Amino acid sequence: MARVYSPGALSAEQIFATGMRDQWHAVCPSDWVERGAIRKLERLGEQWVLYRQSDGRVRMLADRCPHRGAPLSQGMHLGDRIACQYHGVQVGSDGTVLSVPGMPGCNLEGKKLVRSLPVQEVGGAILAWFGTDPDVEPAPLQIPDPLAADDVSAFLCYVEWDAPWRFGLENLLDPMHGAFLHHESHSMFGGAQSARFRIRETDRGFFFEKTDQRGVNFDWVEFNRTGVDWVDLEIPYPSTAGPGGPFGIVGMVTPIDADRSAVFFWRYRRVTGWERDVWRFLYRTTLEDRHWAVLEQDRVMLEHMAHDADQAENLYQHDLGVIRLRRMYKNQAEEQAKALTDA
Amino acid sequence: MSLYLVQNQSRTADPTPYESKLAKAIEQVFGDGGHSLEALVDGLNEIGIHSPDGSPWSQDSLTAEMARLEQSVNGGR
Ligand code: FES
Ligand SMILES: [Fe+2]
Repeated sequence: MARVYSPGALSAEQIFATGMRDQWHAVCPSDWVERGAIRKLERLGEQWVLYRQSDGRVRMLADRCPHRGAPLSQGMHLGDRIACQYHGVQVGSDGTVLSVPGMPGCNLEGKKLVRSLPVQEVGGAILAWFGTDPDVEPAPLQIPDPLAADDVSAFLCYVEWDAPWRFGLENLLDPMHGAFLHHESHSMFGGAQSARFRIRETDRGFFFEKTDQRGVNFDWVEFNRTGVDWVDLEIPYPSTAGPGGPFGIVGMVTPIDADRSAVFFWRYRRVTGWERDVWRFLYRTTLEDRHWAVLEQDRVMLEHMAHDADQAENLYQHDLGVIRLRRMYKNQAEEQAKALTDA
Repeated sequence: MSLYLVQNQSRTADPTPYESKLAKAIEQVFGDGGHSLEALVDGLNEIGIHSPDGSPWSQDSLTAEMARLEQSVNGGR
């Protein structure tokens, strides 16, 4: 009988460590996979190969040849398929073996033996559906509204950090660090260093926000589940950044493996016409460097935290957002592990 | 495998001296509180940063230059 590789029944701990399944995750910037190119990537603790067909569409397969398990990412791009370098087996975009050149007519031909993930491109990034059951259709992906709005201009900043994905996401659900960690920065020098927070429910997630300050520092964040998990937040610019008000960030954090993460920040601003052009000019010439200095403060902090930093915390009111997020993911990991065991 | 950590992702080359000077002057005008197009044009002319052909900025020439730079600056992506 033909075999299809799968990571098997993951435990709740494994799922919590390497990321939630059955949802969309951002995978990499679109321009990492040029037409005709093959790219190897690790995401959610598994090895994948991405390639862009000659018609422009991106495909994503498990990086494991169905013959003897060689990495398909070492193979050859044949326009709509990949030919494994080891013995030439050709695998199509949906994971079907199209040809076994060494033994024409071999019964592997026509069988779907490689996992293939549905992909979509959003805002200059490739997103993939990490389903546990290949026969189940992916959930609809609702694009983060700032990335779909006509009056919004955005730049994607993509980085990889040597820190678990949950640290990256928890950092975004922790607005108060803005007034301390980023106190010496172009955008978060202002405002009070104490606050009271509240959680405000929405039909797709929740806001975690200060009750006593808005529009001065990193004062609120919205967590959203719209097929993909993402946050939206807003931080004021100094007046040197010109018209257009605060900038926003749409953020996603995707596990590379249990210890490392891929971080997607779309920095955006509601600007059109000349205001848009000037902001984009300033972003490229001066602002990107200042944003970078802030992002590096986050990276250095998170990379230096022990990987079990969350084992003996003493949390207070400002950490309600983190607690909420963690409980949600813990429960989901339990549910997904149970479903995998039952299957 | 090494992790991807690249500071400038919105451009493919460093700004030219002209672009750097222009950006700095724009920030100076904005910092002084002038956020309208009119204030920006006047501010740049006061500082003495001129348009590429050497003449003072007008609203038309400045918006055209910004649109050009937005399309082409530093191989902007
Ligand atoms: S391992 Fe790929 S063709 Fe043999
Ligand atoms: Fe931060």
